[in-house]
Amino acid sequence: MTTLLQVHNLSTYFYTQDGVVKAVDGVSYHVAKGETIALVGESGCGKTVSALSIVRLIPDPPGKVVSGTVQFNGTNLLTLSTEEIRRVRGAKISMIFQEPMTSLNPVLTIGRQISEALELHRNMDRREALRETVRLLELVGIPHADRRTRDYPHHFSGGMRQRVMIAMAISCRPQLIIADEPTTAVDVTIQAQLLELIRNITRDLDTSIILITHNLGIVARYANRVYVMYAGMIVEHGPSMDIYHDPRHPYTLGLLASVPRLDEPRKTRLVPIEGQPPDLIYPPKGCPFHPRCSYVTPSCMEGFKAELMEVAPGHYSMCWIAREPKPWKKTSS
Amino acid sequence: MAVAVEVARPHHTLWGDAFIRLRRNRLAVAGTVIILVIALGALLVPFISPYDFAKQNYDAISLGPSWAHPLGTDELGRDVFARLLYGARTSLAVGIFTQAIVLVIGLPIGAFSASVGGRVDNLVMRFVDVMYAFPDILLIILLRAIFGGSIFMIFLAIGLVAWVDVSRLVRGQILSLKQRDFVTAARAMGATGRYVTLRHLLPNSMGPIIVAVTFGVPRAIFAEAALSYIGIGVKPPTPSWGTMISDGYNQIFAAPHLVAFPALAIGILMLAFTFLGDGLRDALDPRLRR
Amino acid sequence: MEKDILIEVKNLTKHFPITSGLFIQKQVAQVKAVDGVTFSIRRGETLGLVGESGCGKTTVGKCILQLHRATSGEVWFEGRDLCRLSDKELRSVRRKLQIIFQDPYESLDPRFTAADIIGEAMRIHDTNHGAAYQERIAELLRIVGLAPYMAERYPHEFSGGQRQRLGVARALALEPSFIVCDEPVSALDVSIQAQMINLLEDLQDRFSISYLFIAHDLSVVRHISDRVAVMYLGKVAEISARDELYRNPLHPYTQALLSAVPIPDPAVEAKRAPIILKGEVPSPINPPSGCVFHPRCPRAFEPCPTVVPALGDAGDGHMVSCLLHPPSWPTGRTPASSGLNAQA
Repeated sequence: MTTLLQVHNLSTYFYTQDGVVKAVDGVSYHVAKGETIALVGESGCGKTVSALSIVRLIPDPPGKVVSGTVQFNGTNLLTLSTEEIRRVRGAKISMIFQEPMTSLNPVLTIGRQISEALELHRNMDRREALRETVRLLELVGIPHADRRTRDYPHHFSGGMRQRVMIAMAISCRPQLIIADEPTTAVDVTIQAQLLELIRNITRDLDTSIILITHNLGIVARYANRVYVMYAGMIVEHGPSMDIYHDPRHPYTLGLLASVPRLDEPRKTRLVPIEGQPPDLIYPPKGCPFHPRCSYVTPSCMEGFKAELMEVAPGHYSMCWIAREPKPWKKTSS
Repeated sequence: MAVAVEVARPHHTLWGDAFIRLRRNRLAVAGTVIILVIALGALLVPFISPYDFAKQNYDAISLGPSWAHPLGTDELGRDVFARLLYGARTSLAVGIFTQAIVLVIGLPIGAFSASVGGRVDNLVMRFVDVMYAFPDILLIILLRAIFGGSIFMIFLAIGLVAWVDVSRLVRGQILSLKQRDFVTAARAMGATGRYVTLRHLLPNSMGPIIVAVTFGVPRAIFAEAALSYIGIGVKPPTPSWGTMISDGYNQIFAAPHLVAFPALAIGILMLAFTFLGDGLRDALDPRLRR
Repeated sequence: MEKDILIEVKNLTKHFPITSGLFIQKQVAQVKAVDGVTFSIRRGETLGLVGESGCGKTTVGKCILQLHRATSGEVWFEGRDLCRLSDKELRSVRRKLQIIFQDPYESLDPRFTAADIIGEAMRIHDTNHGAAYQERIAELLRIVGLAPYMAERYPHEFSGGQRQRLGVARALALEPSFIVCDEPVSALDVSIQAQMINLLEDLQDRFSISYLFIAHDLSVVRHISDRVAVMYLGKVAEISARDELYRNPLHPYTQALLSAVPIPDPAVEAKRAPIILKGEVPSPINPPSGCVFHPRCPRAFEPCPTVVPALGDAGDGHMVSCLLHPPSWPTGRTPASSGLNAQA
């Protein structure tokens, strides 16, 4: 498995009127060719910011990538010039966002938007680009594609717009697609359609995907490896099966326990994670999760090192307790 | 099952938070300072300058700036500096009172129209459209014919043509606020329409209204100066920067200071209010927080 | 034990007119948001209402509360049809019927303090007097798990989950017997959702409140509901007791919905093949003829485009509206009488 993208020790901070928000703090992950990895976490955990940092889409000010490297095809994306990174974006790495209405230009027809990218990145002339556009729209399942190239974004429904986004994302045969909550804004049956579509297309093209989401179900269905993020850090990562069947971090454990599942007998009471997500300007000292952790010990605050330790082949956790055999001992209820 | 809350951020009210943000905006602060300085000067001019704005001195005609007359004298020997400060009274008064009229007329009309909605809203807005299309200058000439050149006429004239914008703004604000969940929640509790308008809709519309009014002041100031310049504004001897410019225009090459100083004054005061308005808009916009 | 029925909805219909015109607005079309919905809710029970966007579930909730006045139909509560009551008459009834919203950032007036928000109902109904008022506010804050000292804070000083709690406290202020929960956890983080769901369940046990729990997340609905109704394009496709619905979904739409929900377990997911529906949800302005689901239904057959199915009892109170099941055929017509082969 060749590594396509290697993010190493990435940190992105936001300098705001209330203080410095450490949105991403020393994050490392990699994606192999043809692989789908998931960045899982709740709002504010830094998953979106880390992905935007890769393609240098962080608004500066107030954001700034303060450290780290992003190796893609042998070059560090963070050191490229604006012109060079623009050539990477859309062509080699493309993105699918959550809200298609805000990522599509409302004053250009769909046909124009897609063919523009084709003319730019794949050096096609107008006619070729239009033909390819129609082919792409058909591929993503838009009926009467040839007629619809003349329509504007507002003529499409939410699910259709996401398909257009997918068409745009694959139009230049990217090696990597970053899908940031691609189906959060659509209904569950449309979500199923779109995700199957993405899976089929990328399987044919051997594209890698970084799937960013908070939905543990989607991750289980589509990701090979999972990175669990909390407070700007990766607290656990490993193969999908391991993470779900043998979670080795209290946060992951808590997350899985608090989500109701359709296939299990009904629990009479959900087990929530108590407390609130951390303030990223004044994060807790030591382990960022310790204020909410049921297994917390004094060493979680003093002398805590934010390092990932290998607890099983390919399976890493930031929690010292990960080495202990399960069930772990609760220190608070 | 109490959830512990660590208060890391200081507690601010919404106005307090806006005020802090405004303070950080240097242009807005500069603008406010300029306005205050001019306002103070206008109020205290009897103590600042020994000259009266109407006192003519045929011995000192069209003199340039000197120690006796810091900004020179005009064609009738009147001290320019004093006239400038007295003129500031007119300008500021116009700015403030016209906006008061705008609020008194525009706010209730817009609020009523939006709150009631439906056909009434439609009708009221058509009426507003007619008012909008009405030629302003004609109205002002009409009012001047009726009320003469008193400053109250100017207030009325400018106010009566400017309220339309604010009423539209208020209506827009309230229409969009009506859809918000917290309004629905109030209705679900049995609140009457009046209660909802007074306690929820109007208070939440205040931000853009304040900004609109702040921007309205320099527009009114300029309108008064322009009207006075062409002769249908305030009647002399009421001091006005516009009149000063029109009077001094005859000697623009011989005594350019007679046109330059009032023009500068207009520009600076308008700019100051504009900076303040910009600053208020940024400070009051909830989305621009952090 | 048969608990008594608190709310009864009969044939509720809400059409929104679409008007156009310069001076005089003429109706050119209508959005059939809710089209003949019938169900009942018992005291202390939770009816889950699921469906995708545009199915009309939120409109149903608002119509019950008379926040939208229904085009036709009845809503029976405490012996009176709420649809027939004037605004003035509704005022006193409103104390018992409340609503919790989805968006914690939109549902609270940013200019009100927490105390103002919670106490608003009391102020509207003029029961805010002195020390008792303050006491009640502090008590409500405690009930929802917030500290009483936070009463003077503004919404922007609370997190999303805490704001939702404020919304719940506000709804509880006048001791309602029924609360419409309109997607109350959809906008919350996963780890906070469980807290909120537990809170709602506790409150139901403690104060014997009935909920209409509107949601699109089937796993959450399964957890909290006693009975579940599935809506599609303004109509009820299926209603039954919770376990029965999830174990034995009868309507093809319900089956597709359940299969589309991914389960957080890669081993389970590897064995599942989701039923992928073709096409998009049609517009409620121009719903399909016959059974509104037929264009997308993987099991549609001959009568579906022409015959409108009725909500029929397929056994033990499991109601379904699908021509694959004989009880759904409108009275007087059967597959045989229509000259068609019945497929079951």
